[in-house]
Amino acid sequence: MNEPSVHLHELCKTYRVAERESGMGAAMRSLFHRRMQEVNAVDELTFDLVPGEVVGFLGPNGAGKTTTLKMLSGLLHPTGGEGRVLGYVPWKRERAFLRQITLVMGQRNQLVWDIPAADSFELNRVIYRLPMANFRRTVNELTELLELGPLLKKPVRNLSLGERMKCEIAAALLHRPQVVFLDEPTIGLDVTMQRRIRTFIAEYNQRSGATVLLTSHYMADVEALCKRVIVIHHGRLLFDGDLAALVQQFTAHKTIVVQLEDCHANLHSYGEVLSCEDGRFTLRVPKANTARVTERLLADLPVIDLLVEDPPIEEVIDQVFTQEPA
Amino acid sequence: MNTLRLMAVFFRISVLNETAYRVNFFLQLLQSLLELGTALAGLAVIFSYTNNLGGWSPNEMLALVGVYFLVGGIISLVIQPGMSALIDSVRDGTLDFTLTKPENAQLLVSIQRVAIWSLLDLLMGIGVLVTALVRLGQTIGVAEAAGFIGMLLAGGVIVYSFWLILASLSFWFVRVENLLEIFQSMYQAGRWPVSLYPGWLRFALTFIVPVAFATSVPAEALTGRLGGPTLLGALGLAILLSAVARLVWRLGLRHYSGASA
Amino acid sequence: MNVLEELRSLLRLYGQQFKTTFATMVQYRASLFIWMIAQVLEPLVYLIVWSTVSNGSGGSVGGYTAQGFAGYYLALMLVNQVTYTWVMYEYEYRVRQGGLSFALLKPVHPIHSDISDNLSSKLVTMPILLVVTVILAFIFHPTAPLTLWAVLAFIPALILAFLVRFLLEWTLALAAFWTTRVAAINQVYFILMLFLAGQIAPLTLFPQWIQVLADILPFRWMLGFPVELVLGRLTQVQAFEGLAIQAAWVILALVLVRLVWRAGVRVYSAVGA
Repeated sequence: MNEPSVHLHELCKTYRVAERESGMGAAMRSLFHRRMQEVNAVDELTFDLVPGEVVGFLGPNGAGKTTTLKMLSGLLHPTGGEGRVLGYVPWKRERAFLRQITLVMGQRNQLVWDIPAADSFELNRVIYRLPMANFRRTVNELTELLELGPLLKKPVRNLSLGERMKCEIAAALLHRPQVVFLDEPTIGLDVTMQRRIRTFIAEYNQRSGATVLLTSHYMADVEALCKRVIVIHHGRLLFDGDLAALVQQFTAHKTIVVQLEDCHANLHSYGEVLSCEDGRFTLRVPKANTARVTERLLADLPVIDLLVEDPPIEEVIDQVFTQEPA
Repeated sequence: MNTLRLMAVFFRISVLNETAYRVNFFLQLLQSLLELGTALAGLAVIFSYTNNLGGWSPNEMLALVGVYFLVGGIISLVIQPGMSALIDSVRDGTLDFTLTKPENAQLLVSIQRVAIWSLLDLLMGIGVLVTALVRLGQTIGVAEAAGFIGMLLAGGVIVYSFWLILASLSFWFVRVENLLEIFQSMYQAGRWPVSLYPGWLRFALTFIVPVAFATSVPAEALTGRLGGPTLLGALGLAILLSAVARLVWRLGLRHYSGASA
Repeated sequence: MNVLEELRSLLRLYGQQFKTTFATMVQYRASLFIWMIAQVLEPLVYLIVWSTVSNGSGGSVGGYTAQGFAGYYLALMLVNQVTYTWVMYEYEYRVRQGGLSFALLKPVHPIHSDISDNLSSKLVTMPILLVVTVILAFIFHPTAPLTLWAVLAFIPALILAFLVRFLLEWTLALAAFWTTRVAAINQVYFILMLFLAGQIAPLTLFPQWIQVLADILPFRWMLGFPVELVLGRLTQVQAFEGLAIQAAWVILALVLVRLVWRAGVRVYSAVGA
């Protein structure tokens, strides 16, 4: 079983966008001659996933993650290149293909708004032609794993954002798909709920052996679930490999944010001062030194507040893009 | 067949949906009855001055009103809600969910929503129609009945196809919601036989917005006035328009998913 | 001094409102166009139906020939265009969406922006309607004995009709403060308008008791009366009486507007925006 479950080879999606400057003159001119600009949303993307892998698909907003997922689930036709999921060409939208995949979009609901989720599940049961016994078993399993119990009987509009997301995910997995595309499933959720959903995804992958391709711009999602990450930016593949390697290579720093009275103090001996505003210093220190520097700061200075952060993913991506290690 | 099961489950969901709002059943009934009452009162005023409207007797006009409410009920029950929902889903992207389902997308968007309360209009229409038929008695034979059923079906297909074409325009143009209103606005002209209208209006109501096929033509079949050409024309148009609608729908989907045209 | 200042600022307000809502209306011209189709089609259908009845009954019915009906319904179309309001739907929508709070926060009575909305949309649609009316006139050959005094009297009658209709429908729109079942109220209202304002048929074609009802209720004074007046179907005495009755209705409506608005605001703020 070494056939890749997801296969992309130089997959491209180019949009033609009309470009126009502001002003009346430009508006008039655009009536006669429209200047089209080509935007490469996805640019020769190539990678393979094997069954059972949980892969993180990272990139800042507008990197092309959603566009790629849409092509892999058959919603968009690519402009070039090759793509195959479970051996099918996704954009042919064959029924046998659609029965084995699922797409969960973090900001959109497929559940019917005013009725209990259980009824939307029923709808999916008929659409996917699931035998009643299998369906019941799956629902029970998902209910247990996601702690859905009391939620299923409430109208979806009465659920909180996190509860709704859990039900959405359950609805998407009723047909036990072999390939699961998750597009920002934890966006907007509180930390506890994010963790809950991450645990579920890991558990589900374990039990079902499904391939999971997960996009996110939360590092925490990826750290918890994915051994392998694929990073894209401006539609191009920037990094494909071990998460550990990515983290090690590109986030060898930590950011310490210290709140002091004002900006007069000189903190250069503690680390690289990135900025200061109203007494709020942002320092960059090598990861290994984080504990020691924090200790010293707290001991030496009248610290009002202190925060230790990973550099934001955008910074990591920027570094990956500009090939700037450490 | 799974299509029937799908229709059943969508129907069930729509019922649950509408009852979730605790709309007052009696209020809906009252509104439907008021509409019917208005139509009948209008007829009463007309027929207090004559007993023949362009060749149509009072009972034949009653039958037309019955067909008007029957077909109007069907349209607001299953055609309008689905097409309106389609336009919304194109705009907010929830159409994507429909497209990842392993079922014919045209089927799914067409049956996805049912406005339950329009059943009242439908039943009312049947009631009026039956009353009119009883009064017309002898003059309705097998040929008329068969023609009626056939024209009703053809009319349904024509109206559905027309709505699907309009709704599919939302794949290319953004502000299409109001376009669906065109049919509603012109449907009121269907309460009277199209033969009354001057040629240009009759043309508009037949070939531009097919109201005539929804109400007049079935009523003509029922009252024995249906000419051969009209019958064949209706059937032909039904076949043609449903093919065109399917084509426009598929072109629209291809445009939506960025396939090369 | 105060009154003059107030008047001036009110005019400036209207001017500004006009500009904003006019721009919006131009944006929505597609939906306005579609709405106009319904506005034209309804009287047109009745025109044709009644003409058919008239032609089939020896040339005339109830004092109207086919051309007489044409004159009646084309005039009705124009008068309706001037007096029409949709403010009841507007308020139901606003209360439902909670947009009414913005209106309540402003230091001017919301009725002014509603009037300005109404008038500016008509500014956009009226030219088109006039063209359509002219075309229909060529097709249907309307006739009507126009006299100078009737045409002159028509102008105040039209203005009063607009005021009666707008003010009363505005007051009715406030029902949205008290109930969500506004659709049912609207429907009953429109049915009464259909029959008692002269839309389904000129009022003289109805039995006597309906005509009496139409005189007592305000609907005829919103729509049918100016139409009958301009078509020369009223005597000078009847016309004068009619104008007086219209004026009375306007005064009554103004009182109602004041009372109902105050009561409505109290209810609305009690429930919370």
